[in-house]
Amino acid sequence: MRDRVIRVMALAVVSMAIAFAVPVAGQAPKKYSPPRTPWGDPDLQGVWNDATSTPLQRPGTVGGKEVLTDEEAAEFQAALAHDLTRDRRDGGPEVDVNRAYNDHWMDARRLKITADRRTSLIVDPADGRIPPLVPLSPERQQARAARAAAAARFQAGLPNDHLDMSLPVRCVIRTDSPPYLPTIYNNDFQIVQSPGFVTIAPEMIHSARIIPVDGRPHLNKGLKQWLGDSRGRWDGTTLVVETTNFRSDDGVIFQNANPATFKITERFTRVAADALNYEFTVEDPTTWTKAWTALIPWNKIDPAEQMYEYACHEDNFDIIHFLTGARKRERSGERR
Amino acid sequence: MGTKRPGFLAGLCVLLALAMPASAHHAFNAEFDPNKPVRFHAKVTKMLWVNPHVWIYVDVKKPDDSVEEWMIEAGTPNTLMRRGFTKDSLPPGTEVVVDGYQSKDGSNRANGRDLTLPNGQTLFLGSTGTGAPYDVKKK
Amino acid sequence: MRDTTIAMRRQAFLSILVTLAVVTAAGQQRTAPAADAQFPAYRAPHRPDGHPDLSGIWQALVTANWDLQDHEAQSGDHPEVMGAYGAGPAGQSIVEGGEIPYRPEALAKKRDNFAKRMQVDVSDDKKWHALGDPELKCYLPGVPRATYMPFPFQIVQGSNSTILIAYEFASATRIVRMDWKQESPADAWMGWSRGRWEGETLVVDVSGQREETWFDRAGDYHTDKLHVVERYTPASPYHLMYEATIEDPNVFTRPWKIRFPLYRRMEANLQLLEFKCVPFTEELLYGAFRKPTAR
Repeated sequence: MRDRVIRVMALAVVSMAIAFAVPVAGQAPKKYSPPRTPWGDPDLQGVWNDATSTPLQRPGTVGGKEVLTDEEAAEFQAALAHDLTRDRRDGGPEVDVNRAYNDHWMDARRLKITADRRTSLIVDPADGRIPPLVPLSPERQQARAARAAAAARFQAGLPNDHLDMSLPVRCVIRTDSPPYLPTIYNNDFQIVQSPGFVTIAPEMIHSARIIPVDGRPHLNKGLKQWLGDSRGRWDGTTLVVETTNFRSDDGVIFQNANPATFKITERFTRVAADALNYEFTVEDPTTWTKAWTALIPWNKIDPAEQMYEYACHEDNFDIIHFLTGARKRERSGERR
Repeated sequence: MGTKRPGFLAGLCVLLALAMPASAHHAFNAEFDPNKPVRFHAKVTKMLWVNPHVWIYVDVKKPDDSVEEWMIEAGTPNTLMRRGFTKDSLPPGTEVVVDGYQSKDGSNRANGRDLTLPNGQTLFLGSTGTGAPYDVKKK
Repeated sequence: MRDTTIAMRRQAFLSILVTLAVVTAAGQQRTAPAADAQFPAYRAPHRPDGHPDLSGIWQALVTANWDLQDHEAQSGDHPEVMGAYGAGPAGQSIVEGGEIPYRPEALAKKRDNFAKRMQVDVSDDKKWHALGDPELKCYLPGVPRATYMPFPFQIVQGSNSTILIAYEFASATRIVRMDWKQESPADAWMGWSRGRWEGETLVVDVSGQREETWFDRAGDYHTDKLHVVERYTPASPYHLMYEATIEDPNVFTRPWKIRFPLYRRMEANLQLLEFKCVPFTEELLYGAFRKPTAR
């Protein structure tokens, strides 16, 4: 009964949102027909932003609720804004060091939850959580343990070398690798289309995914890439993208799924002049017990704004700081 | 400010951590030392307006009148620009109070936890037009 | 006297005929640019918006990335290790007039750059960019160097006043904003590109480039006063003629131009692959800071 009340309220919220021309995503009606490019493809072009504070997985504290009420959403957002911007000196120095990574660094749009007020970005399975892991092979368990050890060394400020750092810290790949997940900043994507192609250029780190939509086959299996190899096709007004040929380095695939058995399908649907639904489904029978899907709304940014270059490796001084800090402390016998 | 928080706000940090790739950014305590807090009056000499982090160069006058150069780590310029903070926001010569933690390797580097301007505005805690709804009361 | 007059009149008449022919020819070519001596007159297919379609995968065949000016083949920096692998080929200058017009006092830095092109030292943040060719370190190459790197690039000509150029080298990307007025709010390694059409030519104004890029491995360089204007003109179904005017009053006595054809890559189903070179440089840049007993 309570669930149905919530669903009705959710629908009411959505209808109100439409009425007030708020960017709508998630439960949008099929009425919107996107404009077409001169060659007839649905037009997804522009600069889009996917910042949100809605978590990927539904937290255990919402009692299984799929959608927040208007009131709950407003209160959540206000509390979040407060938490992130108030002066906090509690927690001791260890905690305080990390608080320098504070709100000033972050995309202000991430204070908002999605317009449809879901409690998780994951929409399938119904509990909003990543499915349980399949028992991993001993080799993969060892690999995971090695990665965890490297991460622990890094977090402790004692990395052995640059390979103890993650691919994003080393500026190899960041949020440019699919699936696209919202992060704390630089959540922009620019889509440019020309006949036979849809190109998605994320801000961080500037790699353009040039996706052929002309039906050509994937690269041969032997050619592997950091961002995989993408092929697109139109399903009505939805761009469906399948990506294969991922490299097998650690950290290439979300949650270290197995590139040999990993599959990802993304769906891009423009649902309003200034809103696009980005949905991805990932499956890997040797990692998760079932496939799972997340839906993330993208909103068009203010036309006066732009996507800017995010060069990363070029001035990545911190890599040296991490290493010289570790070497110095080792020499002086510190272990913290 | 509400005195009662909805239950789903519990474990906020966990929620936010789940929403983003775990290693999309580094934790500061891998680079800066909690045992070495710093706080000094300084003068901005230049801004290195680069990704992945802006670096604010400041001159710090020591008790013996000598001057030390420090480098303060700030956010990504793309985000700072979108929040209205540009490479011209801190012209050389601006007097600031820097609050942060020193680099683990002991060099003259700190993460910029707070930067306080002469008029009392604190830059990094969202009270200068960054859209935060709450004022920061300096301790 | 009369013969001379007749001769003069004939000459005048012929001049008029020639002029008419030229004018007529020019009129017929009004929809195509003045033909390069090597290329017959060509008009590329147009998009519905009335502009030529430059989309496709293109690549330069010049050796300018080694040296913009005339250069003989030479061994690289470590012949005892690299042998012929490390050697550079000969090539003819792509600079109009042959030579880059350096200010005399600015040449010393070019020579210094070349001498230290394979040295790196990232131990001091403030001297991070003082040594070494940025290409060696897998830094974004800037404009125009990205155009003549020995890697393909793809022009994706959008229908929303945006042209995206994606380079295989280091996954470098540029957004060309058409008819855009705003200046760049910050410097960028690939600069701030604003484009417009001049007839059949795409003209791109590139400002706001980081001063740390080089033009080639010979150490040719610039400062933050660099200003580049590119011109892309279809010359045949398989060629774009590329021209770039480069100016930097700190380094050069006047603006100068480079010019060379870009070739359409014709392989079926060709696509840009990845040259994400950061992992190839990490040992070079960071190896010295490794924990002594590890690995």
